[in-house]
Amino acid sequence: MNRIDPLETFRIQPSQKISIQYGRKSYEGVAGDTIAGLLYGNGIRVFSRSLKYHRPRGLYSLDGECSNTMMRVDGMPNVRTENTPARNGMKVTAQNVAGKTADTDPMAFMDKLGFAMPAGFYYRTLHKPAKMWPVAIKKIRKAAGLGVMDPDFRIEGYFDEIYPTADVCVVGGGPAGMTAALAAAAPGLRVILMENRPWLGGVFDYRPAAYEGDLPLYQRAAHLARKIEETPNIRVFTHTAVVGNYNDNLVTAFQRGNETDPFDERYIEIRARSIVVATGCIERPLLFENNDRPGVMQVGCAHRLARTWGLLPGRQAVFSIGDDLGLEAAADLSDLGLEIACVADTRMDGQDETLIDALSRRNIPVYRGWIAYKAHGAKQVKKVTIGPLAGVQRQDIECDLLVASAGLTPLTGLLSTRQVELLFDRHTGFFLPAGLPDGIHTAGRMLGFQDSVKIEISGQLAGMEAAADCGFNAPGEIDSIKVRINAFPGPALGSKIVSAPVKGKKTFICFDEDTTLKNIDQAMADGFDVPELIKRYTSAGTGPGQGGIPGHNLPLYVAQTQQSPDQAPRSTTVRAPLIPTLMATYAGTQHDMCKRTALHDSQVASGGKMERVGVWTRARRFAEDTKALAEIKNVRHNVGMLDASTLGKFRIHGPDALKALQRVYVSDMDKIVDGRVKYSAMCNEDGCIIDDGVVLKQGENDYYFTTSTGRAGQTVEWIRYHTRYDHWDFNIVNLTDACGVINLAGPNARKVLEKVTTADVSNEAFPFVGWRDLTLADCIPARTMRLGFVGELSYEFHVPASYTQTLWNILEAAGKELGIQNFGLEAQNGLRLEKGHLIIGSESEQRTTLHDVGLGFLWDRKPDANTVGAVALTQTEHQKDRLKLVGIKMADASAAAPKDGSAIVDTKFQGYICTARFSEALNEPIGMALVKDALAEPGTELNIYEDSCNGQLLKAIVAKMPFYDSDGSRMKM
Amino acid sequence: MSFTLTCPICGPRNAYEFGYGGEDKGPRPDEKDLSPGDWCDYVHMNRCIAGESKEWWIHRSGCGIWFTTSRDTTCNLEVRGKAEEKDANPPLEKE
Amino acid sequence: MTNKIIRRSPVTFGPKPSTVENRGHWVVALEYEGEGDGPHLIDLSHCPRWDFQDGNLDKFKPVGISIPKQPGICVLSNGTLINRMNGTQAAVWHLSGEATDIPPETGYTDVTDATVFLAIMGRNAFAITEKLSALDLNDPARTPPFLIQGPFSHVPCQIVVMAGDRELPVILLACSRGYAHDMVDAILHAGHEFGLQPAGENVFKKWLEPLK
Repeated sequence: MNRIDPLETFRIQPSQKISIQYGRKSYEGVAGDTIAGLLYGNGIRVFSRSLKYHRPRGLYSLDGECSNTMMRVDGMPNVRTENTPARNGMKVTAQNVAGKTADTDPMAFMDKLGFAMPAGFYYRTLHKPAKMWPVAIKKIRKAAGLGVMDPDFRIEGYFDEIYPTADVCVVGGGPAGMTAALAAAAPGLRVILMENRPWLGGVFDYRPAAYEGDLPLYQRAAHLARKIEETPNIRVFTHTAVVGNYNDNLVTAFQRGNETDPFDERYIEIRARSIVVATGCIERPLLFENNDRPGVMQVGCAHRLARTWGLLPGRQAVFSIGDDLGLEAAADLSDLGLEIACVADTRMDGQDETLIDALSRRNIPVYRGWIAYKAHGAKQVKKVTIGPLAGVQRQDIECDLLVASAGLTPLTGLLSTRQVELLFDRHTGFFLPAGLPDGIHTAGRMLGFQDSVKIEISGQLAGMEAAADCGFNAPGEIDSIKVRINAFPGPALGSKIVSAPVKGKKTFICFDEDTTLKNIDQAMADGFDVPELIKRYTSAGTGPGQGGIPGHNLPLYVAQTQQSPDQAPRSTTVRAPLIPTLMATYAGTQHDMCKRTALHDSQVASGGKMERVGVWTRARRFAEDTKALAEIKNVRHNVGMLDASTLGKFRIHGPDALKALQRVYVSDMDKIVDGRVKYSAMCNEDGCIIDDGVVLKQGENDYYFTTSTGRAGQTVEWIRYHTRYDHWDFNIVNLTDACGVINLAGPNARKVLEKVTTADVSNEAFPFVGWRDLTLADCIPARTMRLGFVGELSYEFHVPASYTQTLWNILEAAGKELGIQNFGLEAQNGLRLEKGHLIIGSESEQRTTLHDVGLGFLWDRKPDANTVGAVALTQTEHQKDRLKLVGIKMADASAAAPKDGSAIVDTKFQGYICTARFSEALNEPIGMALVKDALAEPGTELNIYEDSCNGQLLKAIVAKMPFYDSDGSRMKM
Repeated sequence: MSFTLTCPICGPRNAYEFGYGGEDKGPRPDEKDLSPGDWCDYVHMNRCIAGESKEWWIHRSGCGIWFTTSRDTTCNLEVRGKAEEKDANPPLEKE
Repeated sequence: MTNKIIRRSPVTFGPKPSTVENRGHWVVALEYEGEGDGPHLIDLSHCPRWDFQDGNLDKFKPVGISIPKQPGICVLSNGTLINRMNGTQAAVWHLSGEATDIPPETGYTDVTDATVFLAIMGRNAFAITEKLSALDLNDPARTPPFLIQGPFSHVPCQIVVMAGDRELPVILLACSRGYAHDMVDAILHAGHEFGLQPAGENVFKKWLEPLK
């Protein structure tokens, strides 16, 4: 492979060879090459086959504006090889072709069938008869498409995320972005500068044209980049695609890592006080017949291939351009060894005459007002037809490279995503922002500026304005900069030519979607007149490159073609992500934050089958038996221990603590008895039960209460919300994590407890629903409550979390000779079900009131408490046709328990099973269900529709609760 | 939720740190002689205006305070620097 | 009783500490093998921490220290840090790690076991934290020590920046104790590229000592 002699503008290390595999062959390149550049240097011209017509496609731009160079790289489909660095050993294959390379494609005949696929054909054809569509869509999908995702493909690499803080965020590392960053950093602000390419420099980076005097632009760019590097408060992110800009200056981006970075890609999110958008311009494609032929490329592409990578883009070239950058590139490329037959410039006048002179010195003819009409050649350009825009003269020129560009188009996506209105400017032909939101500034070429110094000064101004947003206002300096800017000539007249006057059958306005000018004409003939709708109808600009290729041309063409040419072109919508972003990048590091109790490790060591319960990880059971019957039996007949640490636990104190409790609890908390806990519930304003727990009074204006696991996170905010207008003086401390909870339950529980405390824990001294602050094992403080959720003699120890494991071990040792065992959530579930004790969320849903679950007796009609839910409780107390909580047994006691959630039906839905389990105590399935009140009487037969019951309804009978120990004597023993 | 909200304790923060507490409808109406319809309206009906809406928000991932603020619902931006009465619970300062 | 009475920290690092000290019932890790010269992640969960709430905080001086007037401001005195959290609440953190009797006023609650308490300190500490949180911990406009309450690795935290970037950064972080395992995992993961290592209390004490 031949490279041109080293230039100062190179971004490659020619001595460092690398090789990649494309198809079955190995190709050599050098460090710094992109994948597509490396292949181009090896003579590859066809990089892909197009979506619909399987037309050969080649290297066109270099910043990923279209899907032309998308390939499969190391198993990953749709990699933009034109801006992906080549790494040694990469395996690359072509996409949407039958073989491994794009050079030959058996589907190429599709190109001849274009006539059968007019605009909107998806919407209009193949639908009748309806049966045809599923068949057709299969065929279409197979023939068309981009890369194919292997279902087994697992993305490799490390995807990081970072949330750097900044005062000013500058997007675009070209001359304007760099001067903006320097100006914003001058008063000491924290500045972040982000650039899509792997280096700073932008449009200056590769160009030898003079900046001032003899100083070439690329040296000026290097000088600015050095200054940036020397400024400690500017942080630079290169190779970073900015993909979104949201309310209050939230900027999102992702950075591609290089080989020394610890990440492959990282997601970046910045909340800046001010933003400078200096994203510059890309080129507006020039349209003509076969404008997509490999060998046709944009000016910057040809110029940068040579200047940055040392690859001469062809041997014999024709230029068809509409901007001075094309003239400049022609002169420079000619000096680097490219033979240029001629330059066709769509503009009649307005060119920089020094560039015209430079070309004439090199004997390169410039034809003003001329344009390329057609590219010839099957797989790559062999010949070009050029001619004047007005006139019939045509000339064929043999060449292997056609450098074609209609002009420039500003990159305004970051403004569009902030709903900035973009208006067509008749002079430049650009869509320019009409007013910016506070805290956003623009600079550089995107405003139509061309003069190098003016570009830089506009950046400086934007940087100073951004600093002013952050409180460093220098009005005098800003004014004098504005005067300097105005002294420069205004933007040059921009060419608005979109296409040579051709029929447009093979003139592609959008490469990704194979949309031709003819398709656009068809859409307009079908009555679509707004570019946004034409875009949707023809799918132009909806492919991977989004608006990169057709974004500017489509509205220009539509406005020029339509009958009311006075109407200004209207731009199409742009949305984030502006550059396709991997889902893996958005997902980032995915730290899964889950809570563990103080007993987690010992629960796991004891064989606990752990599962996620809300924010917590808990042990569902300890044995293989999913019904956990052994654990249940042990609690019923002996003694077991449960880790109940996830219960919500709170202290509320202060002069108005009681008022706050009265507001949220349905019971009268003024009636709490010393030494006893009070069971109560909280409702929402609809009277629906949302939580239950116990409250105890530990001192004057000082209470301790528990909530269910699921409510622990919301309880403080619930109480504060429902007292928000009252200005009460009370304080809440969330002690959920501060205390571990061990539930010691079973008829032998007292025997275990007596071994670890000297206190009198007899039934007389410490009765049911009492609570005591005990000291266990001589020094562990344990708030101990006698509760009966599982229906046996039971103690609940609330101990400081750091002591919980120690106490657990002590209780385990104390209960060893009795055969104490762990029990988990499943056993607890079965035990409490036998008692008819409900779990909020299992036996209630958001429409279930306190009355519905039979807990209406908890409601004390407190006159002036304004208890949350009380109004609704009054109003719904005797409401008919509600779902009521009932116990059920199966008609056939030997049947299996129905699945939780199964519907109860007759001719219509009558309720559902909340929880049903096999009862160890009753030796038959039992359950709780919410059923229409008409069916709630004990003895009523219910029909249950279970998943996959094949229409065989299960029979159940409403039964009285509790199912077990109806007088509660076992809890009170 | 890309916008920011200004917590009276912590200052401007990302909206995802906050929880929404509904429109500011004022204190609970007197429950005596309140018709079910009126009560239901108080609990469930909202103005849902396109424009400035005074709302309750909680700094859920931060200091945990409930406070009122105004948001322009048409652009999802907080209306800042308004000299309106701010409410908060717990109160910002001693009564 | 065969079982030793131990208070356990919610944090266990992979490597075992090389030096420990029994303090109260805590077994405090003083030093680890190969701690290196930072950045460090240190478990300070044994340090006593109190919640203090009252309608009129100005009336009180926990352990003789005036509570800062403005939320977000912290004061460090004699090894005790007081963070003003809001109009009615302050946190009292005994960084010296010594047990102290809680005052009798009802406004105090011992919340030592409510949170996991960590220090991230040493060079690149802010490069680690910015991978886990969008909070502006390195705000040059604020003077350490200052308090930020907000999400860190998605979990609500109280974060106190004790020393900023100009010196050796020292960041204290407290969040619900249940998150200890996943929080330590997330921090070590984020800090891997910077050589973050678990370290013992001595590293922190050495930094704290001159400030007493």
